[in-house]
Amino acid sequence: MFSRWNWVACGFYLVLNVCSPDASGGLVQSCGHIIPESPVLALGSNFTALCILNESCLDFGNIYANQIIWKIKNRLVPKEQYREINRTVSSVTFNDTSSLATPLTCNILADGQIEQNIYGITVTVGLAPEKPKNLSCIVHQMSRFTYVMTCTWNPGRHTFLDTKFRLRYSWPEEVFPDCIPKDVNNSCTITDIQFFVNTEIWVEAANALGKAESDPLVVDPIDIVKPLSPQNVSVSSGILPTVLKLSWENWISDAVMTLKFNIRYRIIDDTNWMEVPSEDTASPRTSFSVQGLRPYTEYVFSIRCMKEDGVGYWSDWSEGKTGITTEDQPSKGPPMWRIIDASHSPALWTVHLMWKALKPFEANGVILQYEVTVRDKSSLSSPLKKYNVTSTNHTLQLPKGTYEVTLIARNSVGASPPSVLLIPESNSKAPVKNLRTLPKHDKLWVGWTAPNSYVLKYVIEWCLVSSSSDCIIEWQIALGDVQGIDLKGIKPFKCYLITVYPLYADGQGSGQSVKAYLKQDRPSKGPTVQTKKVGKAEAVLTWNHLTVEEQNGFIRNYTILYKTIDGNETVVTVDPSKTEYTLSSLTSDTLYTVRMMASTDNGSRTGPDFTFTTQKFGRGEIEAIVVPVCLAFLLIVLLGVLFCFNKRDLIKKHIWPIVPDPSKSNIAQWSPQVPAKHNFNSKDHMYPEGSFTDVSVVEIEADDKKSFSEQDLKPFDLLKKEKSTSEGHSSGIGGSSCMSSPRQSVSDSDEGETTQNTSSTVQYSTVVLNGYRDQTPVQVFSRSESTQPLLDSEERSEDHAGGADSTAQRQQYFRQNGGQDETNTDRPCFERTNQITHADEGDLVGFVQLQISGQSSQPLGLGMEKNTQEAALSNVLQTRTEGQTVRPETVEENPLSVDEIPKSYLPQTVRQGGYMPQ
Amino acid sequence: MAAADSPSTALRRRDLCSRGIRLAGKMRADVVDLLDAYVEQQGLDASASVAAVEGVPLAAVEHWDEQTGTQRLLENLAAYRAFRALLAQMLEEQREQLGEADAGLGRALAAVLLQVSAFAYHLEELLRLESRGIPGEEGDGQPPLPRLSLFEQKLRGLGVLRELAQWAVRSVRDLRQLTKPSLATSAAPALAESP
Repeated sequence: MFSRWNWVACGFYLVLNVCSPDASGGLVQSCGHIIPESPVLALGSNFTALCILNESCLDFGNIYANQIIWKIKNRLVPKEQYREINRTVSSVTFNDTSSLATPLTCNILADGQIEQNIYGITVTVGLAPEKPKNLSCIVHQMSRFTYVMTCTWNPGRHTFLDTKFRLRYSWPEEVFPDCIPKDVNNSCTITDIQFFVNTEIWVEAANALGKAESDPLVVDPIDIVKPLSPQNVSVSSGILPTVLKLSWENWISDAVMTLKFNIRYRIIDDTNWMEVPSEDTASPRTSFSVQGLRPYTEYVFSIRCMKEDGVGYWSDWSEGKTGITTEDQPSKGPPMWRIIDASHSPALWTVHLMWKALKPFEANGVILQYEVTVRDKSSLSSPLKKYNVTSTNHTLQLPKGTYEVTLIARNSVGASPPSVLLIPESNSKAPVKNLRTLPKHDKLWVGWTAPNSYVLKYVIEWCLVSSSSDCIIEWQIALGDVQGIDLKGIKPFKCYLITVYPLYADGQGSGQSVKAYLKQDRPSKGPTVQTKKVGKAEAVLTWNHLTVEEQNGFIRNYTILYKTIDGNETVVTVDPSKTEYTLSSLTSDTLYTVRMMASTDNGSRTGPDFTFTTQKFGRGEIEAIVVPVCLAFLLIVLLGVLFCFNKRDLIKKHIWPIVPDPSKSNIAQWSPQVPAKHNFNSKDHMYPEGSFTDVSVVEIEADDKKSFSEQDLKPFDLLKKEKSTSEGHSSGIGGSSCMSSPRQSVSDSDEGETTQNTSSTVQYSTVVLNGYRDQTPVQVFSRSESTQPLLDSEERSEDHAGGADSTAQRQQYFRQNGGQDETNTDRPCFERTNQITHADEGDLVGFVQLQISGQSSQPLGLGMEKNTQEAALSNVLQTRTEGQTVRPETVEENPLSVDEIPKSYLPQTVRQGGYMPQ
Repeated sequence: MAAADSPSTALRRRDLCSRGIRLAGKMRADVVDLLDAYVEQQGLDASASVAAVEGVPLAAVEHWDEQTGTQRLLENLAAYRAFRALLAQMLEEQREQLGEADAGLGRALAAVLLQVSAFAYHLEELLRLESRGIPGEEGDGQPPLPRLSLFEQKLRGLGVLRELAQWAVRSVRDLRQLTKPSLATSAAPALAESP
């Protein structure tokens, strides 16, 4: 399809060109054209274009005006805007040229479908130039003879067209060449300037749509001159120390114009300019003397000029030129203060005099030296002391007193007025009141209320408080009529100690101090808290104060924050003076985390966390539990022991009753030597040493550790006596059981009868007195079949049996048995034993047992040799350590009795541990 | 002289006089500077004697103080018109001789020429304010300046500039004289001064 139409179009185009009658030279002439050709249109205006077809094309190509279509940049113009004027002319109308674009083409639809371009034009749309406004000119002096005039104007709106601006100027009879701006459209510079002639200046703007001229500016260029600033400015000092002379050259001659000037100056370190009054420099000149300057001060001068009548422009300021005024004598004495050190000796002061170097405008030159004069006011006769000092301090050793110190500063011109400082012996005058501070930007204002008395001046001391170094004092003097000054050079976040002294004509007031900060911040670190003591429900926290460098402000309070691991944080506020605090109501045996925060007016800082664990028990709780428990235990044990002691028989009966074994009863063997012994013994010795060996059955408690102690042997003595009584009635043999009661045997048998019976019939018997476990003891008499005669002792005892004599004899016996050591007999114990004997026969039985045991171990009172006894004792102990229960045989084995009584009737076999049957 | 000036006319004349005085002053200063440059550039002796330039009225006149204001203006106008023509010819000769080699001298000559033209304009304006007719330019009717040798051209140039400097001084005095109210309307001399 496309190819077909393409072929048709090409063919038609070819026909058009071939049929063109004007075609010549290979050029192609179109079949029409548009009127107007490439128009420039005003934006917003209406526009009509005509497309005119050549007559030659009409007939040949059947092309008519009704086939024309208009296009703007390939966009079809609505046919409502077309109008067919005749068969060869078609017009198109645009009511607003803003809708136009380039190109505007005239086209034709051949055969109603094939579009063919006939002609096209370029349409330029823009605006006519506006009238330039605000034309102004200025003549710049470029050099001594060169002036250029630059004029500027407002070119008006953008025209979208190429608009030419030109600056024109003329005299009434002279027209000058136009000034064409380069690269700009709002200014132009004219280099050929003639003064003193009114020149008419105007701007002309022109483009394709029109031309516009500004209002003319008529001006004599001399009235719009901006001259060059004066050159070669020099400053020279004059005779007076307050005057400097400025000289300069003018770039412009008086023939052109006369000038007036402005002179400004400043101290070289200052930024503020001062100006010489303009009326002083309103006339042409090339020099000027500036007065009222400070001596010995470097100034910077600058100057500018303009036409004398003030019409025109000021020149730029000239470059600064410096000059120094000459010296003058110092205008005032240096401010002076002192520090008195009386630490070495109260009576001798070390006075540190110090003064401030004069400010340059006070020194008026180079201070060469200071003269210090000290006068002792307390002694009129004392001479003045003078010191020449080059530094700003001087130290004197002075006795305590009142002094007047005078200070003079000297420079090359002269001396300053004196500064006088009165140093009184004591600061007894009234101090200032209500000392206070207030930060003011970078200064710290110190204010006070004056005392009631007239004050000459005040001395304000201040120093930076430091924990690591001494307070380096700075000071300043204020006049007596002020009640506050600004301290400069104060650093923020630093603590300053400020002291104010009032100075009176006749003395000095004591200083009042205050601490102050220029600016506060939060502390640079928080306090480090730790525990001093931790209890069950409380903990004592301690911390150290922050150093003054760390505080950065006044510590208003400390805040303690503590919590358990999973608990809420508790906050406690503490006075800043405290360094210890006790946390109470804590939970026992709990881990706590505590931290501490120091706060100033400007914030807080928290210190590191610290953990501690409360104790499980409070103070004394353990003691309160353990001690009573121990006491109770001991009491119970004691009671138990007592109980057991009291009930030992019962216990023994129940736990380890001694069941006598008759089969193991021993019967002492009669020894054939005994009769000889008996014979040897006198009647007085009714009971010879070996008489107790009659008791041949002995049981020794293996655990009875005290079996050898004297204490235990005392009742044994008693029993000896008892036994001596009872044994006389008993067969003297054989009670193998500790339970056997000799008394029982006594009571159970009639003495007389028993004696008689035994004398006729020798019976060896073992008597068991106590029953087993509350059973009625059964008296068992084991009858011996032996027919051997009774021992002498028994016979004798039988002889003396009965009656009160037996007692006496026993006493005697004890005395005898006590031997040389009669004191061994413990009398009280004996008496007590008697009581017990009367009170409780059961106990007595026990005693008997003990007695027997003691006898077996230590035959106390038997007059044995001590060494032998000890040997025997050691034997017994040895036996015990071997864990063997000492049997009655042990007693019989006792070498004491054997050795003591070589003619013992005890059978040797028994001594050897065995029973030798008779 | 106009017997009765309107305030605007008086102001205008005062302004023109003031401006003319300053212009003449500047013109003199520029001419003096130009003379130095010209003598040096042309290789002349600054003390060389030069005959009076033809066509230029002499600045020095007898009975100067007896002249009326109009006379002063007319003589000034005639002199500056003559200077304008002479300077234009000097500028042309200068360009012919030096081309663009010494543009500075040419610019200075052109500047003085402009000032002369401007001063002539001032004079014409003042004459208009005096309600006097302005005499026509005689340049067209004047015969052309004779063709001189190069040295003669230089000497003539020197003479023109010297005379112009003299006229500048006289013009200042003439205009100051015109600004004096008592003398403005009086033809009789009041002050025994001469340029």
